[in-house]
Amino acid sequence: MIQKTIEIVNKLGLHARAAAKLSHLANSFDSDIFLIYNNDRINAKSLLGILTLAASVGNEITLETNGKDEKKAVTELTDLFSRKFDEES
Amino acid sequence: MPILRGKPVSSGIVSAHSHIYNNQVQILENDIQLAPASIEKELNRLQNAVKKSRAQLKKIYKTVEKKMGSSSALIIGIQRQLLEDPSLIREITEKITQEQLHCETAIRFVERKYIDIFSKIPDLTFQERKNDLSDILQRVSANLISRPHQGNKNESATILVAQDLHPSKAAQVMSSGLISGLILEEGGENSHTSILARTMGIPTIISVPNALTTISEGDFLFIDALLGIIHVNPSKEEIFKLAEKKEKYTAYKSRLKEIIPLPSQTLDGKDFSLLGNIELEFETTMAQNHGAEGIGLFRTEFLFMEGDTAHHIQKQALTYKNVAQSFYPKPVVIRTFDVGRDKTVPQVEHEQGINPALGAMAVRIFLKKPTLLKKQIKAVIQANESGNISLLFPMITTIEEIFSLKAMVSECFDQVKKERSHPPKRPPFGIMVEVPAAIKLIPFLKNHVDFFSVGSNDLTQYLLAVDRNNSEVSALYTPFHPALVEALFEIVALCHKIDKPVTVCGEMAGKSVSALMLLGMGYRRFSMNPLALMEIKRIFTHVHASYAAHVVRQIRRLPSASMIEEYLIEQFLKKYPDLFIKQPFF
Repeated sequence: MIQKTIEIVNKLGLHARAAAKLSHLANSFDSDIFLIYNNDRINAKSLLGILTLAASVGNEITLETNGKDEKKAVTELTDLFSRKFDEES
Repeated sequence: MPILRGKPVSSGIVSAHSHIYNNQVQILENDIQLAPASIEKELNRLQNAVKKSRAQLKKIYKTVEKKMGSSSALIIGIQRQLLEDPSLIREITEKITQEQLHCETAIRFVERKYIDIFSKIPDLTFQERKNDLSDILQRVSANLISRPHQGNKNESATILVAQDLHPSKAAQVMSSGLISGLILEEGGENSHTSILARTMGIPTIISVPNALTTISEGDFLFIDALLGIIHVNPSKEEIFKLAEKKEKYTAYKSRLKEIIPLPSQTLDGKDFSLLGNIELEFETTMAQNHGAEGIGLFRTEFLFMEGDTAHHIQKQALTYKNVAQSFYPKPVVIRTFDVGRDKTVPQVEHEQGINPALGAMAVRIFLKKPTLLKKQIKAVIQANESGNISLLFPMITTIEEIFSLKAMVSECFDQVKKERSHPPKRPPFGIMVEVPAAIKLIPFLKNHVDFFSVGSNDLTQYLLAVDRNNSEVSALYTPFHPALVEALFEIVALCHKIDKPVTVCGEMAGKSVSALMLLGMGYRRFSMNPLALMEIKRIFTHVHASYAAHVVRQIRRLPSASMIEEYLIEQFLKKYPDLFIKQPFF
């Protein structure tokens, strides 16, 4: 199991479109993937779950992966966060 | 024969039987608990309904994308993905199996749970998502009942009556062609649903209290969406009278349609241009259908409501490009974000102060925090491949603001140039004349500004010190006040003197008497709500510009707004007795 804490840097936080991208990417891995934010722990493969977090810019969120491709999952998901979900240019 | 009243948001007269759209799914009270054998059956029902809903959303997505553009379709895209979310379906399934509930009840429980969660989120953009969730769960619920396709017995269109209608549902029913009218208990004048109704030409009345308690399924309705009146099961005599009005309206509409291809010329051969004001990409079609000779004012604040479009250069550029290309070679004027006063958006942080209309707004904010404005300017430059886009800046008070904005445009232009293989086209630079002080700047601007737009709504508000949305004082708000009349005379004279085009783009331009006054003053370019275009064209093509000028010269001697307005109507009717239509058709 890997845990990694990431800062949310895109302006709108995990709003609908960013959340959609995140869950889409999470679903491409075999590992179990969770997000921990403000004492809530949700399945990152669930768009609905991510939306209920209402995670906003400037806050930290913890990524937890567990499974065969857990390393790859952490790398790619972290990258998506740091690319600001490809929505700001 | 009850009569209901509401606010018309898409004009027209139509009669048909009612169809009640009930988005409240009822919980079956007497058999809440299922027999164990039925659980399997319920799970099958759920599975089928989800499958059906997914297929429907896919179809809606394609229709919306085609008719309203990809940015509007994204709302449906999010819904599609939510419905693919395995944990959502799992939660409903568990409710059914563990608590032995009917599908309908299980869905209702899950919906309530998430509505509660979302309602507690302080950030409104996140809260909004509860509507999407409700929308899809209601769709699934509706699909649980295998109906033999409603309306089969009678394929003619119905008038839909509902509490409110989500945009996705609205898009679906309106594009199906089975809806001839729409009545909502709630709804908003500028909601996506209302805008969609106008685009599709579906007569719509909103804010109708008790519509659902007064109207039953299959009632015969005659709706007058010019006046906002709904006749429920009218008598024979009433139907006769209404049918007569409908016929007249239809005749009037088709006469108006004939006006579109005619040249925009007064009886004495003076050319004029009538352009449309729009806020959303998909209003382009409506503006074109009403004969717009371009877009004189594309208000861009709505981009803030479409997710992150306002923050994204490529997405913005695509929106602008689509509008520009559909009007090519006619002009499209894009006004930069005019936020901070009546339209506040969470993405733009600023201190409103105790008097927002005199405080930080529009360019006053962006000159201090330029990031968003720079993105918008770059998007406009990128989008200007066809070369018919102009850039318009609102709320200008000083020449220093103009210099800073021009420097910003040049900087953005150079950046876009570096990123591109082929050189971009520089959009003409225009300013809004709406702060009265800006009028006195015009003589200094010959070498700095390419065109002017008179924002007559704000100019009136600032000149008369009246908030037109405040019912205590809104009676003072009038386009005929002598001070405003003089200001408008001055603006057109100054613009002509420095040889720059000027457009009037407030409500004045779309109302017959004030539009005639502007024509008489020498204005030749007008931008307005697209729905007013044909009527103004009818009026302008039936008068002589020289006569209008003659009449308008006389009003400078009159000291009051009511005297000016009366004089104008009187003088125009003297020469053109049938100029104004008696009935207010819109």
